[in-house]
Amino acid sequence: MARQQVPNASQEDLRRRGRSNLTWILLVLTCLVVLAGPTMVVLFLGMLPTVVAMIIDRTKQKSTTFCVGSVNFIGVFPFIMDLWTKINTFDAAILAVSDIFNLLVMYSAAAFGWFLFLTMPPIISSFVIVLQQRKVAQLRGEQKDLIEEWGTEVASIVEMRKAAKQEHHMEHGVEGAGHHRGHRT
Amino acid sequence: MVDALNQAVETAEAQTDASLPQVGSDGVSAPASPPPATPAAEVKPANGAPAKTSSTGIPEPDRGGPLPPLDDALFPPCALNDRYLIYPSKALPDLNSPQALAYKAEDRREPGRPVFALICKPGLPIRTGLLKELRAQAIRGLLPMLDFGPLFWSPIDQTTIAIVFDRPLGGRMLQSTADRFTRITEYEISKVIFEPLSQAISELATINYAHRAIRLDNLFYMDKERKNLVLGECLTSPPGFDQPAIYEPLNRAFAMPSGRGDGMVYDDMYALGILSLFVLQGNNPAARYSDEEMLSAKAEKGTYQAMCENERITASLIEPVRGLLADEEFERWNIEALDQWLNGQRKTPIQRRPATKPKAPFKFGARDHMTVRSIAQAFSKSVPEAIKIIRSGKLEHWLRTSIDAPEIADSLLEIMTIPKGHEASLDAADDVLVSKVCMRLDPHGPIRYKHFSFLPDGFGVAMAVEYLRKGNFQIPGEVLARDLIGFWATVHEKKTVEISAIERSFVSLRNFARINEMGYGLERCLYELNQTLPCQSPLLNKTYVDHIDDFLFAMDEIADHTDKRSRPMDKHIAAFIDTHFKYDVTPHLKALSDPHEETSLIGLLSLYALMQWRMKVPALYGLSSWLGGLLAPAIGTYHSRTTRRHIEQEIPALVRQGSLPELFDLIDNADRRTVDNSDFEAAQIAFAHAEEEIDGIVGEGIDQKKVALEAGERTTAMMAITLSMIATTVIIFATTM
Repeated sequence: MARQQVPNASQEDLRRRGRSNLTWILLVLTCLVVLAGPTMVVLFLGMLPTVVAMIIDRTKQKSTTFCVGSVNFIGVFPFIMDLWTKINTFDAAILAVSDIFNLLVMYSAAAFGWFLFLTMPPIISSFVIVLQQRKVAQLRGEQKDLIEEWGTEVASIVEMRKAAKQEHHMEHGVEGAGHHRGHRT
Repeated sequence: MVDALNQAVETAEAQTDASLPQVGSDGVSAPASPPPATPAAEVKPANGAPAKTSSTGIPEPDRGGPLPPLDDALFPPCALNDRYLIYPSKALPDLNSPQALAYKAEDRREPGRPVFALICKPGLPIRTGLLKELRAQAIRGLLPMLDFGPLFWSPIDQTTIAIVFDRPLGGRMLQSTADRFTRITEYEISKVIFEPLSQAISELATINYAHRAIRLDNLFYMDKERKNLVLGECLTSPPGFDQPAIYEPLNRAFAMPSGRGDGMVYDDMYALGILSLFVLQGNNPAARYSDEEMLSAKAEKGTYQAMCENERITASLIEPVRGLLADEEFERWNIEALDQWLNGQRKTPIQRRPATKPKAPFKFGARDHMTVRSIAQAFSKSVPEAIKIIRSGKLEHWLRTSIDAPEIADSLLEIMTIPKGHEASLDAADDVLVSKVCMRLDPHGPIRYKHFSFLPDGFGVAMAVEYLRKGNFQIPGEVLARDLIGFWATVHEKKTVEISAIERSFVSLRNFARINEMGYGLERCLYELNQTLPCQSPLLNKTYVDHIDDFLFAMDEIADHTDKRSRPMDKHIAAFIDTHFKYDVTPHLKALSDPHEETSLIGLLSLYALMQWRMKVPALYGLSSWLGGLLAPAIGTYHSRTTRRHIEQEIPALVRQGSLPELFDLIDNADRRTVDNSDFEAAQIAFAHAEEEIDGIVGEGIDQKKVALEAGERTTAMMAITLSMIATTVIIFATTM
């Protein structure tokens, strides 16, 4: 009973926090629309691929969103600068985003962002794997040196931890099995 | 060559009696010795019966006959204390003692002096204390002892004690008591027997010793004219060990030969009385009796009555003979009384109080017993029958009705009443109950338990002989465990100072026996009770170490020809050291007894190092090498392999110095150990950290590819953000410039 109450409470908490964030976002957007309406029009329509990326990116880090968004912004930013330095009106903004060439620039930038995101991580990860393997080999070497100097007893703390973990695992395994049996009966 | 070796072996066998130690059932081996040639013939029966009987009926112990001659070239003379040369090839069987063989000897400082040596049979406690006293001062009337010491005796390939005496030129007074001999008349006896012998007894008494070997076959003439009579030696066996039972007062005669105790001057006076009776009569008046019958007769009638009832004793000698043969110590003549008689002061002969005769005899073992003492002795011989008759209540009834001794009957009831639940305990075993009943019936007699009968002052020697013969402590251990000596102390109505002292000493012995650790146990009791007993360790079986000062040298000496894989330590050595070494070695023994090999080895090394340091013993190369070779597990107590290698490299140099304290300092240096421990802890922590890091990278439940891909995604995002910031800045600059 108690276990069921805890997730319910945290879900409720999350929902409340989500509602609060949305309120703040709407408030800021309203202010921005009022203060910088043309910019917001260009930004919104130019950054649509980023919005899509944000929607489909379910990861915690939101790497896709940041990657696509950053490159997409490079494509949008020159038109915003145009507004800021020339005529900063809604008409000018709509004119900018209704030009197919302009949109091509903005969305191509987003596409490049996607391209980066799809090609770079595997290359980097293979480097990371190599580095990690080297690190592990170095640590194992250090451990070997320690064993050579101090004997296998030097690993006693590690062995004890492993044994404790194993014991804990076994106990919980047994408890879990009992729990399941209890449910079945 | 082969003949000579056979000769040597034969001689060695002849010199070895059945009392020599054998390997015990528990695997404890006593000093190895050549096997006995004729065990049954040489072992004295437990009741001390003579090995020889004769037409005169006078008993005498077997001294062995002539031995086959040994080759002079193969068995050259051995030097004792760099002064006396003893010739193994020149035996003097006429001068043999029951437990020592006589050989011709030569004094290097006085070449013409007639001397001979007795070579003690290894494996029997000898009277080292008295030997030391006699070396310091001569006793008139006693065969003069010149020197003694341990000596490697080549025919038996073993070190034993040799004692050198002035040779009695007139030989033994009687070559054998088996032969008829000329009686000494009542006119001669004072001069010939009483005066020299009383002088010897008296002088021995001044140094608090009793001779305990006064018997007819142990008298010698020092001069060729056979005028100067002296008492023979009493040093090569425990007190009273070789005495035929007839020479012993009743309480000691009931005990087995090794358990007769040190005795006192009164016991010598009794033996003198018996000896004088034999000399006067020319035979043994009690020869018709077997030993058991003789002891029963003595118990029932009194010694004088039993020995002289059918004899004619000259009136003038009745007084001393009766006085010397009085069964109660307080009634027996002492030296002063004999001196007064010799000086012509006549006393009224002691009238022996007639023993209270029972209304009816007590029938047991096909005999009618008239006294509780003889019942006690008979009970101890057949325990199963005894326990039946005790349980039947017949004894209790007889005590109440026939001899009017209700107090004894009551205490027997008390002994036999076993608390509920204790029926199966060892304290309620038949042997224990019968032993206690015997003690209650005969409080002044020996403690009798499973044919192991001894007087409390003879327990040490009895224990030693038992161990040396059987190789184990089974019976003496049971005596201590069942606290029979504690019970013996309670059966005495009057607790004298001596009884209290014995009780106290046995309480501490029981405590030693209970501790099953190195330096304690029954081995410790053995050495505490026999302070002059040589160390019985199998390692030292060919040497003779009875003093702690010689111990380390002996160990050093045997190191070269001992299996170096064995340890220079066992329970005997530990007990011997703890008994004789004056400094406290308890912590060392505690470490020595540790079940962990390395701790035990460090304890061993520390003990020997302490001994070498305290006793200021110079370099011990053999022992250092022996111990150095055993130290691998002790070196293994250091965690660091570098430290271990360093120690291993250092050991040979210290072994060459022969210094055990330095070796110990190397092995168990406190600073080095502290550093080793702290460094080891640091290494353990470093190892655990490394393991944690590795676990973080490739640990259980971690998908390395996924993690790397996520890292790649993060990096790509960061790169895109950075690119965006740079591009934005460039655009701003390009637009505004």
